[in-house]
Parts: sequence; structure tokens; C-alpha cells
Amino acid sequence: MSAYYSNKGYEEDPDYPDYSGSRNRTWEHLKTQDYPDSPDAQNNSAYPRTRSNPYSADYRTSPDYPGSLAEPDYPGSRSNPGQSGTRSNPFAAGSRRSSDYPTSLAEPDYVGSWSKPYHPGSSSEPDYSESQQNSDFAGSRSSGNYAGFRTNPDYLDSLGEADYPGAQGNSNHSGFRAHSNHPGSRRNPEYAGSRINPYIDTLGEPDYPGAENQPISPNFFAEPDYPNAEDHQNSPTFWGNPDYPVAEDGHDYGSSETSEITREVLSRTSSIRPSFRHKGDGPLGIRGRENEDYPESIAMKTLEMANPYGNSVPGAPGDGYVNPAYVGESSPRPVYGNPPLSGCDWHKSPQGQKLIASLIPMTSRDRIKAIRSQPRTMEEKRNLKKMVDKEKSKQSRRMLELNCCAQCLNSISRVYRRSKTSLSELLNSVSLWQKTLKVIGGKFGTSVLSYFNFLKWILKFNIFSFIVTFSFIIIPQFTVAEKNTLQFTGLEFFTGAGYFGNTVMYYGFYTNSTIRHRNGGASYNMQLAYLFTIGACLIVCFFSLLFSMARYFRNNFINPHIYSRGIAKLIFCWDFTVTHETAVKLKQKNLSTEIRENLSEILQENVKLTLNQQLIRFSAHLAAWVVSTGVAVACCVAVYYLAENNSEFLKNHRDPGAVLLLPFLVSCINLAVPRLYSMFRLVERYEMPRHEVYTLLIRNIFLKISIIGILCYYWLNVVAQAGEECWETLIGQEIYRLLLMDFVFSLADSFLGEFLRRLIGMQFMTSLGLQEFDIARNVLELIYAQTLVWIGTFFCPLLPFIQMITLFIMFYVKNISLMMNFQPPSKAWRASQMMTFFIFLLFFPSFTGVLCTLAITIWRLKPSADCGPFRGLPFFIHSIYGWIDTLSKRPSYLWVVWIYRNLIGSVHFFFILTLIVEGKDKMFLIEKLTKLQDAEKRANTSSFTLERRDVEQPGPLHVGEHDAACDLRFRRSVQEETPKA
Amino acid sequence: MGNKQTVFTHEQLEAYQDCTFFTRKEIMRLFYRYQDLAPQLVPLDYTSCPDVKVPYELIGSMPELKDNPFRQRIAQVFSEDGDGHMTLDNFLDMFSVMSEMAPRDLKAYYAFKIYDFNNDGYICAWDLEQTVTKLTRGELSAEEVSLVCEKVLDEADGDHDGRLSLEDFQNMILRAPDFLSTFHIRI
Repeated sequence: MSAYYSNKGYEEDPDYPDYSGSRNRTWEHLKTQDYPDSPDAQNNSAYPRTRSNPYSADYRTSPDYPGSLAEPDYPGSRSNPGQSGTRSNPFAAGSRRSSDYPTSLAEPDYVGSWSKPYHPGSSSEPDYSESQQNSDFAGSRSSGNYAGFRTNPDYLDSLGEADYPGAQGNSNHSGFRAHSNHPGSRRNPEYAGSRINPYIDTLGEPDYPGAENQPISPNFFAEPDYPNAEDHQNSPTFWGNPDYPVAEDGHDYGSSETSEITREVLSRTSSIRPSFRHKGDGPLGIRGRENEDYPESIAMKTLEMANPYGNSVPGAPGDGYVNPAYVGESSPRPVYGNPPLSGCDWHKSPQGQKLIASLIPMTSRDRIKAIRSQPRTMEEKRNLKKMVDKEKSKQSRRMLELNCCAQCLNSISRVYRRSKTSLSELLNSVSLWQKTLKVIGGKFGTSVLSYFNFLKWILKFNIFSFIVTFSFIIIPQFTVAEKNTLQFTGLEFFTGAGYFGNTVMYYGFYTNSTIRHRNGGASYNMQLAYLFTIGACLIVCFFSLLFSMARYFRNNFINPHIYSRGIAKLIFCWDFTVTHETAVKLKQKNLSTEIRENLSEILQENVKLTLNQQLIRFSAHLAAWVVSTGVAVACCVAVYYLAENNSEFLKNHRDPGAVLLLPFLVSCINLAVPRLYSMFRLVERYEMPRHEVYTLLIRNIFLKISIIGILCYYWLNVVAQAGEECWETLIGQEIYRLLLMDFVFSLADSFLGEFLRRLIGMQFMTSLGLQEFDIARNVLELIYAQTLVWIGTFFCPLLPFIQMITLFIMFYVKNISLMMNFQPPSKAWRASQMMTFFIFLLFFPSFTGVLCTLAITIWRLKPSADCGPFRGLPFFIHSIYGWIDTLSKRPSYLWVVWIYRNLIGSVHFFFILTLIVEGKDKMFLIEKLTKLQDAEKRANTSSFTLERRDVEQPGPLHVGEHDAACDLRFRRSVQEETPKA
Repeated sequence: MGNKQTVFTHEQLEAYQDCTFFTRKEIMRLFYRYQDLAPQLVPLDYTSCPDVKVPYELIGSMPELKDNPFRQRIAQVFSEDGDGHMTLDNFLDMFSVMSEMAPRDLKAYYAFKIYDFNNDGYICAWDLEQTVTKLTRGELSAEEVSLVCEKVLDEADGDHDGRLSLEDFQNMILRAPDFLSTFHIRI
């Protein structure tokens, strides 16, 4: 799937051949020009590759931009002809890019300042010491290059760059120049602020040198100047160039290396991410990569698939390993570095041109995503789109005459996109409960809303399962149904037995024959249909769970260590969904309390506990765990014995209501024990409320899952082996009763329990006040019911339908109860983090447990002899074996047999599959770790600035180190004062 | 799809679809919401792109914004001249950014602008004070407010310049997973 995407992106783009061509030319150009000249081949090669050449080559190939403008200026002004030549090219390219760009801009200044950093190697330069001192800023001196680099239309990220300040003639221009004239000023740690700087300029604050527009360049292009530049030789891998001298370093990039870069770059400026994106995002970059052997990028793509935004950035997988956090977001960060020029002719400015140029090579889908994510007004976006379309059509007319295949692909993609939007529109039009959800969100905020969203999500699962089972099992069965002779009394609704036992509801009713209407018509094998339908349901559930989990993880996986105790998050994460007046007031009040608590917590931080207190606390935890586990085990034992004895009892007494005893007990346990667990909080003390929530969740899920587990054990080991007639139907009935009882208990709890609690809270013990909605407990109930449904679908194909109805009713019941009996939560509840955890719970013990149970059933149990589609077979799976045997006799179906033998039946295949999945997991984790390190380091940016220098500058550059550090500090303070002045 | 609507031309609708995170139906719904705000002001025919602005007083009285402590800032940020009066384009822009589909960076960019009360491109202590006051409706004392601001700057100010840049803000937002779901106005 992922591979498909990336390939598609590549194929669809008619521009591709052109670009790759230009890239190749680039290399030639590079080799002939630079390598011989540069004394320090390493540095230089890194340099031109990442920066200059692609552009110049590109531009020269582009007929739109006459390349005559600036080139002649360059050679003369360089002090070091070889190096400066390479360096200046990009600039030239950039300036040639659009004719209204003032070429004169900054070149002379640049050149002078550029050449310095490159001289340390040659050491004959009189400026040597100075360049040492300023070596950190070598990269920023090359900012001109960088800007040029970004003018390349290959670059997605050039979207919104404001790097050519001079071009618009805004205040950046002078700043920029001044900047390049004074390398020292680039030392300024203010880089961090750089990305908004452009706004400032437009907002009319002249104090900030526009130089900070180029904060990004140092990250990348300064690297080669460093003695340990090898660390950064990752860059060649971005371009996928095999003939890079130091390429071997680039190959083994792993978390350590990445973090090395990260750290390094971070320490320099905090706007590291844009620069990474720059690299990775360029469509050229990704195409290059895809053509080369970079399995990682493909692996990364899968993860992205889960992310709604992820697919939009063609280059995303590439930068994934650098900073995965941003992969998912379709809009390249640097976009925001753009000064939103006022007026609607901004697109005529160089940035606009750049942006347009960068949008052209994208696929239409990505282009629209990119346009949508522009922080611009509608008018500007519309103009932008118009311009891009115009350019595109111009180009395509020129090009596609030769390349009708690409055109064909393009039009297919357009049709595909259009049909997809109309499909999503159709799906949206049936979006359920939009208004109700809005009201809930308005009154109770996002956290409570997440419960209802979860409910809706599970409901969708069940609707899907129902549709599948209904159309592939139930309808065919209807066509051959026999007359039901049993009496319907009404009690069957509760017991699920009797009359229902002889309907499509249960396994036992299904025929084992091949359905064939009219002689010679198509035949329908019920056995296979039964297995395949249930299997398909589970597989779809599996993947949608996996993808939602990946998506949630991607968006919300946050190191709890960083996360804890943030007052900033309280301030900036105001819940905009809350719209109800009283809710807003209550929320404001709660927020004030929370802020106060937070403040006091910060003020009296780290109250050390004595050993004695710690011991007491520890023993309380231990006791609570022992008691909770003991209770859970006791419940399991009780359930098991009751189940066993109950079957004995039922054999003697034929009272139909007696079967309800077991479900009743289970529901009672589910109702009472979680409340007991909640009471442990009176004894246990947690430092962080989050820990309490998690502990409670773990205990509850342990209880629920172990009860289900013991029931499964009872069913598979006792009921199935007892040799009873049609044991599958018995299990189905049991599950039906459990679900029904659970539903009844939930209803009663909502209508009676919560209502009574409100009465008590309002009338009798006003100190209690209104209760808050317990999201965790309610979500666990949903998970429990869903687990039962998944297990039961095999024995009772109609179960998804029943669950659908109960969920539907539950939604309204919970909604009414919520509106009547509850108040909004007083604490900011980490809804999205919790949702991630819930989905994980739904996946891990719940869904995997279901898979195990069903696997045991299908592979190891003997179907009952007289009922159900599998009657007479030794194992369920034998129906598949039989089918394969029949197929292998027919030559036209041999491919199915082959697939079965080599893929499904083969251990090796599963082994490989596991390896792949594991590899992806690891990649994912590595990404996450890198990101975390990254984030942690960002927090300590300043401290690293100095530290890094120690690590990084061995050798001759050490001389000016301390001066530089002092200089840095000095400049920072100066910088801080200037804006105030 | 097949709707007989004469408000927009086909191209207009297509452009809106491409420039916002909305489907055709949602755009129409938003248009009618917009039109309902000032029925006598907003024509039912937008094919000729009339230059109509709905004043802030009406925008701010929408139920979605009415009780939002930042309603004025939202309107100012999204309006063309910063005065809170909105054209249909601005209106759609606003809800597009606040929609579920908008990426985190886009949201963070506009959230930053909303919290940047004095429009200087930084969230400074004064902006923070404004924010906190709005959030708590003056329930905190002045010292508490300044303490909060101090703490916020302490936490989020990566470059230690005493104010939050967009960069700082985005980093901070990155650590707040709920931001994506809370910076969201349902329509």
C-alpha cells in the first residue's frame, strides 16, 4: 500500500524525468567543477551537492528563467575561485529564477563573507583567526546559497520561504545584507525567533535584522566546515548519491547519528526542524531516494498511511527518520516563516514565484494539501491555485506531448481523486449524531466527548461486521431456511435460547451444504463462506485498529517525562469546542483552581518523603495490588465454578430462567469490583493523578479480561469437549446472555445509579456535589462488550447486529444521563493520550485474545456432529483443506493453491511477515526516541550551545572558542535589548 | 453533487474546496450560517463575488463563538484588516483552520496569532497576562497572574529572550497532545 503510494507519486508526475535529468547533469557539473578545485574535497562535495548544483542545473534547463542575469558577476568577486565558484552558483540560480528579482542584492557582500569559513583548511588566509572564531556561522554566511537553494522548484518546502527578503523590497533586505556583512552577528542565538521574524517585518517592527530569515541554513550548510563534518554526511544520503566521497557515513544513519545531528543543529538554533524538512521534503529528494536502495523510506511510509495528513508530503518519509514528529503534518513548517505579504499580488513576489514553482511538480493531491495548509487568506490561496494550474497546464502542454503515458496516469489520478472526494462527501453526509456530539462537546469539553467518539467508532466496527456477515452468511442462509417449528414465548429475548436457537442467529442453524438454486446456477459453499466472512471481518478490524493506533501514537505519543506539570499547556490548550455559557464559566473556574494548584505545587516542589513515609506508601501500593489481584482471581474462580456447577444444575432442572444466573454474577462482578478498586484511592497515595488513573485502568482491564479468559477456557475446554449436541450454539447463547445482561446493567446503572447519585449529591449531601463522568470506567465497559462480540461473532453471526442496537441505545442513554446527572470534569484530562491508551487496550489484550480463542477453536476443536456448517468434519479448518484439494484438481485455479501453499500455509511467510512488522515497529520506536531526544534537547538548547562547542571543535578551531562563547553571550544580551529600545 | 444551488458557480465551489478542509456540503452549510448572521446584508448569489463584510458584532454573536473568551481575537486574526469584520472568505478560512482536518502546524500558527494580542509577532508577558485574565475571568490575583506568566515563559521559552516566538510556541504545542482536538470549533 505504501509502496504503491510512493510509486504512484513518482509515476504520476510527468516532471520527473526532467528533474532527474537535471540532477544527473548536476553531478557532472559538480564533478568537473568542484572536485579538482577544492583542497578539501569532503567539505566541498557536501556543499555543492546539497545546495548549489541541483539548482543551477535546474534553472538552466528551465526556459522560463533566462539564466543570463547574474552569472557574470560571480567569478570575479571570489577570493577563492574554486570554492566560491560552487558556492555562488546556487545564488545565481536563485537570482535567475525570476526576472524581477534584483540581482544586485547581496552578492558582493556574500562572497566576501562566505569565503572565510572555507579557508581554515588552506590556512594561508590572513583572516584565518577571525574565521575560526566565526566558524559556527559559516553556514549562516552561506545563507544566500540557501535561499537560492530553496528557490528550486523541486522543493516542496520552498513553499513559503521568505528567504529573499530583498526581493520584495521589504525591510528584510537591508537586514539581510547587513547580516552577511557581519558574520559575527550571525552568532546571535536569536535564530530561534527567526521564523516569525518575517512577520515582524511586515508588522512594521524594524528592529530585527532580516538576517534571521536564514536561520536554517547554518544547520545544514555550515556542517562541512566542521572537522567532524562526517556526522552530517547524512546529507548525501538524502540525495541518494552513491558517488559521494564520504557516503559510507551516510549509510549507517541510525538513531545515534541522527541525534547527533539533532543535537548539533539544535544547539545552534532551535529552528532545526524546518531545515530538516527542507531536505527531506523536496520531491526531488524523495524520488531520488526511492530510486535508490532505501527501504527505510518505504517502511516509514506505512506508518504514515495511518495519518490523514501524512500522505500529503511526498518527502515526508525521508525526513521521517530525522524528526518523525513532523512527518505527519502535511504542511511544511517553513511555510509559516513567510511574511504574509499584504495585497493579493504577493504571488508575483519571489516567494510567491518560489511557492508556485515548488507546487508545480507535486501531484495534484499533494498540491491541494499544500495549498490548503498555507496560512494565507482565501484570496491568496485561490490566486495561488490559479497560478499553479496555469503553470502546470503550460508545462504539461509542452511536455506531455512526448509523455502521454504520464498524462494518462495524471488523468487517472484526477479521476481517482474526484471520486474519492465525492465518496468521502457521501460518507460524511451520513455522519451520525453530529449535533449531539456538538452539544456534548460544548457542554463537557473534549474529554467527555472522546468517550462518545470511541463509542461511535466501535459502532462503526459493528455496522461493518454486520453488513459483511449479513450479506455473505445470513442472506444465503435465508434462501434455504427451513420452517422454524419452535414456540416463541418472549423469555427468549433474555435467554437467547429456545426459539432463537433455530434461527439464523446461531451457528447451529446454518447449513453445511452447497447452496445451489436452479440446476447449473452458481453454487455457494456455506462452509467456506462462513469461515471467510468471519475471517474478513477480523482482518479488517485488525488493520483498522492497527492504523488508528498508529495514528493516535503518531499524534499523541508524548514522553510523560516531558509532559508532566506544564502550566503552559493549561494556558494554551483552552478547549475551543466548549461553547455553552455555563460550561465556559465552569471551565474558567476550574482552570483557575487548577492553575492555583499547579502554582502551589511548583512553589513547594520536591517535598522529600522520609524513609518511613516511603515505606508506608510502598506497602500500601503492594497491599492494594495484592488485594486487587486476589479479588480478580477470586472472581475468576467463582465464575468458573458457577459455570461448571450451573451446567450440572441445568441438566437436572429445566427452568429456562436459570441460565441467567451466570451472566448475572458476571455483570455483578463487573459492576461492583471496579468500584471497590476505586475505593483503594483512600489508602493509596500517588504523586501524580495520572498514575492513579493508569493503575486503576490496569487493574480493571485485568479483571475484565481474566473473567472473559476464564469463560473462554470453560467454553473451549468444558462445553466443547462435553460432547453435547451443538455446543457452538450453546456458547453463542451464553455470549448473547452475557452481552444482554451487561447492557441491562449499564442501563440500570445510568438510569438508577447515576440518577440516585445525583439526588444524593443535590439533596442530601450537598458537600458531594454533582459527580463527574468517569470516562475510564465507561470506556472499559465498551471494550469488554466489544471483546465478547468479537468472540461471539463466530458462534452467533448476528451478534454485531445486536451490539449495534445496544450501542445505539447506549449512546442516547449515556447522553441523557450525562446531561442530567453530571458536571464537566474539573481537571484537564489528557483525552487524546487516554484515547491512545484505550485503543491500545482494545487491541492488545482484547483483540489479540479474541484471535487466540478463535484460532484454537478453528484449528483444535471438533465441530459438533449434527449441526452447523462444519458438521462431520474433524476440525473446522478441514473445510479449507478440502477446498484446496478440490481446487488443485482444476488447473485454472492453481494460482489459489499456490498462494495458499506458499504464503498462507507456509511458516516462512509468517516468519518474514513478523520480521517486517517488527522491523517497522523498531523503526517507529527509533523515530520516536529520536524525536524525544530532540525535544528534550530543544528544551536545553542554550546549555548545549556551549557544550557542543567543546565536543565539536577539536583542532585549530579551538583557539577562538572561548572568545566565541563570550561573544555569543554578549551578543545575545545586546540583541535582547535592541527590540526594547 | 447534483445540488441545485445557485449561490456559487461550479468553479467557485471547487476553489473553496481546494482551499479549505471542507466538503461541498459543509461549505454550503457554512455559507448559510454566514448568510443567517446578516440576511439583509449577505446576498444569496455569490457568483459575482460581492464585497460584503459582516460586522464583528454579528460574528461574535454566533453560538460557536459567543462564549469563547477569545472570540474577539479570533475574529481579528482572521479578518482582513484586523478589525473583526469578516468576508465570506475570511469566515470560511476561520472555520477551516478550526476544523478537525487542519494540520497541527496550521492550527499552531493561528493559535499563536490569537494569543499574540499586540500583534508584534511574539507572545510577551503582556500577551500572556491578557490570555490568563481571559481564561480565568479575573479569578486569579495580580501576583498569581504574573507568577503564571513567569512560569509559562520559564517552561516554553526555548531561547530565553523573555517572550515566546512562534518556534517556542510550536515546540510547546508539540508537547500538548490535546491541542489538536481542543483547538477545534465544531460547526
